[in-house]
Amino acid sequence: MEQAIDKRFVIIGCKDADKEAIARPTITYGQDAWRRLKKNPIAMISMAVLALMALLALLGPALCGQDFAAMEPTMKNLPPSAQHWFGTDMLGRDLFARVCIGARISLLIALVCTLVQVVVGCAYGGIMAYFGGWVDSVMMRVIEVLMSLPYLLVVIIVMLVLGNSVPSLLVALCVTSWCNTARAMRGVILQLKSAEYVMAAQALGAPARRVIMKHLLPNTIGILILNIATSIPNYIFQESTLGFLGIGLQPPDTSLGVLISLGQAAMEFYPLQLIFPAGALVLIVLAFNLLGDGLRDALDPKLRK
Amino acid sequence: MLKYTIRRFAEMVFTLFIIASATFFLLAAVPGDPLADRADKLPENIRQNMYHKYGLDKPVLERYVITMRGMLQGDFGESVRMPGYDIQRLLSETLAPSARLGLQTILLGVGAGLLLGVLAAMCKGTWLDHAIVFFSVLMISVPTLVFGLLLQKYVAGELGLFPIIGWPKGKELWLGGWSYTVLPTLSGCFSYIATYSRLLKTSMLDVINQDYVLAARAKGLSEGQVVRRHILRNSFIPIITVLPMSVAFALTGSFFIEKVYAIPGFGRYFIEAVQTRDLSIVLGQTVLMAAVYVLVVFLVDILYTLVDPRIRVGGKA
Repeated sequence: MEQAIDKRFVIIGCKDADKEAIARPTITYGQDAWRRLKKNPIAMISMAVLALMALLALLGPALCGQDFAAMEPTMKNLPPSAQHWFGTDMLGRDLFARVCIGARISLLIALVCTLVQVVVGCAYGGIMAYFGGWVDSVMMRVIEVLMSLPYLLVVIIVMLVLGNSVPSLLVALCVTSWCNTARAMRGVILQLKSAEYVMAAQALGAPARRVIMKHLLPNTIGILILNIATSIPNYIFQESTLGFLGIGLQPPDTSLGVLISLGQAAMEFYPLQLIFPAGALVLIVLAFNLLGDGLRDALDPKLRK
Repeated sequence: MLKYTIRRFAEMVFTLFIIASATFFLLAAVPGDPLADRADKLPENIRQNMYHKYGLDKPVLERYVITMRGMLQGDFGESVRMPGYDIQRLLSETLAPSARLGLQTILLGVGAGLLLGVLAAMCKGTWLDHAIVFFSVLMISVPTLVFGLLLQKYVAGELGLFPIIGWPKGKELWLGGWSYTVLPTLSGCFSYIATYSRLLKTSMLDVINQDYVLAARAKGLSEGQVVRRHILRNSFIPIITVLPMSVAFALTGSFFIEKVYAIPGFGRYFIEAVQTRDLSIVLGQTVLMAAVYVLVVFLVDILYTLVDPRIRVGGKA
């Protein structure tokens, strides 16, 4: 019997059995988004601009060799020169070093506040959407109250209690900022929970981890990125507004808002003192906005090819 | 509908109560009191009289009850910093400029923004679309503050086309004195133009690809009817969600535009009042702003049902 089989059949081994498996390496969500982001020239240029600004903010003062707070009474209101790249202000302080320090504060605020907003907002929104019922309505009411308190009231009070320093400015800006994110996340998760493809994945026997990692998270990230992209410029604007109104940082600390407000005082005769800090602010915000647009296109799973 | 309105109204009153309480305790938590720097140099008995006059000698909870009871009767108390003023008098003098500025800004900003949004969506892919997108990103990246300062310096200062600062008074409070209002309105409205044109464009492009638009076209409706009845109506839904925030924000004052153009609006007093812990003024303004906000949100919920017949008030179809 064995002989008969041997003659009619040839053993070919089983090395081709895995031909049906997916041969190409799977591309993760992040890799795919990065690949598409790289094809977007505007987003890449914005990223380079941001990297350059961050580098200048960190190293700028050392680069030009000037101290941002040192006053020189003999060198007031100088035009830009080899020694003072952006000129000096009304107290003889080097404007380039001050703009760098201001940009440093603005970038710091943007990063820290956004981090807090995302972490707190996601957790809060997730809990609201997960539990529902009365937990949801109580937590929603809390958000409603926080959002209808005038934001300036909260900020001024926090600054009064904690004093005018960078950490207290961060706290003041973070107190109510996460509300919008929480609301957006709640909406998205509620919507996703009942989406057909989530049901299909569950029906096909996908474990909860896979549903969350492959379906829920990538789909909330689009909304989250949109949220972050709009809130980063917002934080930078808010800080500059506070600085302008005189509620923000006090000297010797400085920020782009404080510099703009000083620039306004001098703009009649020395408009450059307004234009340099305002230009830096606009450049940072513009780069963040354009990068945000590019990221949104790259991360949206619906646009995936 | 009536039941829904009553329930919403009760919720609104409750929210306002919470906000007033939160404001009171937030201010009470700040160390120091509004009289401290003035009263310290005065003789002991005069100081006690002053504290007694404003009720600051009582414990916090008692002051809270007194304040809330007064608020129910529309009495927010006299300002500590500006003797003779209460919130009603302050508002009657400062609300009109703020409200006019806000109204003009929102009308021009949202109007122009929606128009540009429709144009960009209808001419998608043409140079017009790219130009609108480019300008809205640029506008959204320049803070209102910088716009205000630059317009003031170059249009008013160098070219002398409009007054540098000031605001129409007296008979011209609401209508007239337009030249004063041009620059503040312009500097305020750019951010609205940018926001709304982007929002409407995205939402319209979303709607254009829907099946019901294809169905409407297949039925042989004219292009104008398709755009007006099917595309525009549906793409306004996200707009209506964000509009109340903008309206409430604009109506209750843009603090820095008021500061740049020296407009006698109430934003300035708000900052002063919070910094000096002037409770009656802060409470009055906060409750007013919150009331405007809550009311606008309520009106918008009603408006929803008019724009989108699929949404029914009260949850039942």
